[in-house]
Amino acid sequence: MIAAVVLTAGCTKETGYKTLIITGQNNHDWQSSSPVLKKILDETGMFSCEIAETPAAGGDMSTFNPDFSSYKLVVLDYNGDSWSDKTKSAFIDYMKNGGGLVVYHAANNSFPDWKEYNEMTGLGGWGNRSEKDGPYVYYRNDSLIVDETPGIGGTHGKRREFLVRTRIVDHPITKGLPARWMHGNDELYSLLRGPARNMQVLATAFADSAAGGGTMRDEPMLMTINWEKGRIFHTAMGHADKEGGPAMQCTGLIVTLQRGAEWAVTGNVTQQLPYDFPTAAGVVLRPDFKEITYKEALQNIRSYDIGKSTKNLVCIQFHITQLAGDKAGLLKAEEDLVNILKDEKATAESKKLVLRELSWMGTEYSVPTVKELLNNNDLKDEASFALSRIQSVK
Amino acid sequence: MTKRTSRREFIKRSAAVTAGSIILPQIIPSTAMGMGGRPAPSDRIVMATIGTGSQGTGNMREFLKLKSQLQFVALCDVDKKHLEAAREIVDQANGNKDCRTYGDFRELLEKEKLDAVSIALPDHWHGIIYSAAANHKLHVYGEKPICRTIRDGQTIVSAVQKNNIIWQTGSWQRSLFNFRRGAELAINERVGKVKYIEVGLPDGGRGIGTPPVMDVPPELDWEMWLGPALKVPYRGVSHWNWRWILDYSGGQMTDWAGHHIDIANWGAGLEHTGPVEISGHGFYPPEGIYNAPVEYDLLCKYANGIEMRVANASRLPHGMGTTWYGDLGWVHVDRGDILKASDKKILDEVIGENEIHLYKSENHYQNFIDSIRSGKPAIAPIEVAYRAISVVLLGEIAMTTGQTIKWDPEKEVIIDNPGASRLLSRPYRAPWTLPTV
Repeated sequence: MIAAVVLTAGCTKETGYKTLIITGQNNHDWQSSSPVLKKILDETGMFSCEIAETPAAGGDMSTFNPDFSSYKLVVLDYNGDSWSDKTKSAFIDYMKNGGGLVVYHAANNSFPDWKEYNEMTGLGGWGNRSEKDGPYVYYRNDSLIVDETPGIGGTHGKRREFLVRTRIVDHPITKGLPARWMHGNDELYSLLRGPARNMQVLATAFADSAAGGGTMRDEPMLMTINWEKGRIFHTAMGHADKEGGPAMQCTGLIVTLQRGAEWAVTGNVTQQLPYDFPTAAGVVLRPDFKEITYKEALQNIRSYDIGKSTKNLVCIQFHITQLAGDKAGLLKAEEDLVNILKDEKATAESKKLVLRELSWMGTEYSVPTVKELLNNNDLKDEASFALSRIQSVK
Repeated sequence: MTKRTSRREFIKRSAAVTAGSIILPQIIPSTAMGMGGRPAPSDRIVMATIGTGSQGTGNMREFLKLKSQLQFVALCDVDKKHLEAAREIVDQANGNKDCRTYGDFRELLEKEKLDAVSIALPDHWHGIIYSAAANHKLHVYGEKPICRTIRDGQTIVSAVQKNNIIWQTGSWQRSLFNFRRGAELAINERVGKVKYIEVGLPDGGRGIGTPPVMDVPPELDWEMWLGPALKVPYRGVSHWNWRWILDYSGGQMTDWAGHHIDIANWGAGLEHTGPVEISGHGFYPPEGIYNAPVEYDLLCKYANGIEMRVANASRLPHGMGTTWYGDLGWVHVDRGDILKASDKKILDEVIGENEIHLYKSENHYQNFIDSIRSGKPAIAPIEVAYRAISVVLLGEIAMTTGQTIKWDPEKEVIIDNPGASRLLSRPYRAPWTLPTV
């Protein structure tokens, strides 16, 4: 269940896909976003990331000469001065030879005049982009629209939480994802336009004018582009605040970025979907960009009280469903849960949650511990609930 | 009790006098007529509403459109504000101030002399109150989903059958033309023999986050609202939002099974059976008070080879509604008079005299009243409602356990899986128990 432990053969933190995150100039807080991007990708255990900073704006760009060919993946958190012709040409060669690229948020603003780059990003915004750069692409009434209407490229209304709609459900990146999920407070990039060739729109978000300015279109949020032999994953989301903020902490952004990055390298996705992917019911954040493991959840849940995060319970429940009836696994999980019941420091509310789980998956092993709780004023209802269910079918 | 029974008998006999007629008030014998050609008040069906929230009040308003044939005399709710608002509606309809109100359904059932009740409550109360109403020999218009668990459902079905009452489920789509026509095309094999069905139910919506513990509003009897459910502090979910909490409901999936799965079963001849194998997965909100699946995707296999996929609308090509597929194409129905087919010619097909003609009703509420008069089953009887909701209750078990569930639709048991079998029922909090029938 945990992406971090699902390692492709020969791919660990040390030997993961060599990844270059390029930043150094941006109209956004790149000092915050770049380390977060590294953290997000490192968390999978599949990538080993380096961050390369270009010279500051107006600096001597000829000094920026990364050896692209030694990387499997390039992540662009860059919106700034044009690179030198030599660097551009090396990047084009890297992509022509089957390189992987992740275009993140304002990177799609960059290089408005670089033809190949705009082909790679598919869609871009700002930088005087207009009909000369390509059509608008969006969804309307569940149909993909390619719209040549003249007009500006790039806008966004007020920051907001918004619903992301998965449009292509059988792509390796989106396979198994919820059809609709809430994204953390972010800029909703709209009116992007570009060549849009060999591009698939994986997910969109409705730019509702009632929510603080919007085009009333389902704007593209996640895209894939095939350019020459190269694969590009483009996420329009992720506006960074200090230390990332809700747009980057959003589990939806994190997981799609991790999956998109893997796809850009291999054309496939081996990461399993985590238990904490958001749904339409609300935003889900990973404040430290990490997925809580089952082991951690077993510990964390002991301090549960009403009003606190329910993630640890959902993690445990997910673990149990993943066992798919495996008897030994279920017995082990039962033992884990009974240990919480036995823990004097665990809260009553946490034990109530545990008793509900045990009510269906508990065995004789649970019975003595549950019976003891019949004498506990705070827990007697839940203990009785669990006991009568356990004993209803042996 | 004797008096009530004889009243019921009288109403039934009245119908027999003019057998075959379904138009009211013509079936009321003239001897029973009041002044001005209207049925005398005493010959109208005497009703009460239990649960006066939006659905219960909505149903009551529909019944009140037939007020020459029926009369509401009493109401019950654990929320005094809802109760008062509903009382005003009834008093206005009756032109008096006589409508009686109760906070405890047991008191209403004991004290009132009724023919029928309209019930719309959170699902966790259905097992107890539907059975109690049936055991009081009352005809019931009951909201779907008719039960929170399979065991609740079995109990209600037994109570209805044993007491031989008229039951109408609030599956009102059955009384609309497009649904009946679609189901009739499917069951008469106008798409070929039905092999696969897709049922699209609503996507789960935006949650209410993680509300704190709150003071119970003075008008609300929270203890009674919870009833058989585990005791929890009040967090503002007594109205509407209970639907997304598993102690009380199964979310959109269980709420809507009584509509589009019911229609699917109708058109595929699956009304009196259930799947033999159920698998699937759900997406649960990782944060917040909601814990019902927001998205869900089930595959149910039937003994005759039919497969039914039940999922939230955004996951399906046709979105909301029911789609029957056969070798010759498909037919799709949904709300908004939607009736579509893979080939328009299918929609022009005539159903021959010797083919299957499904039960026809054009007004779901009138159909209930007619059935009380005639003694014939209503269009949405309890047994078929139970089979419709069973599909997703079993799906819920598959999603909770992460296992493929094998179900015996004859014996109504899960095969060879004790853990999953326990989820067929939910223990009730004392002193509440499921009535024995």
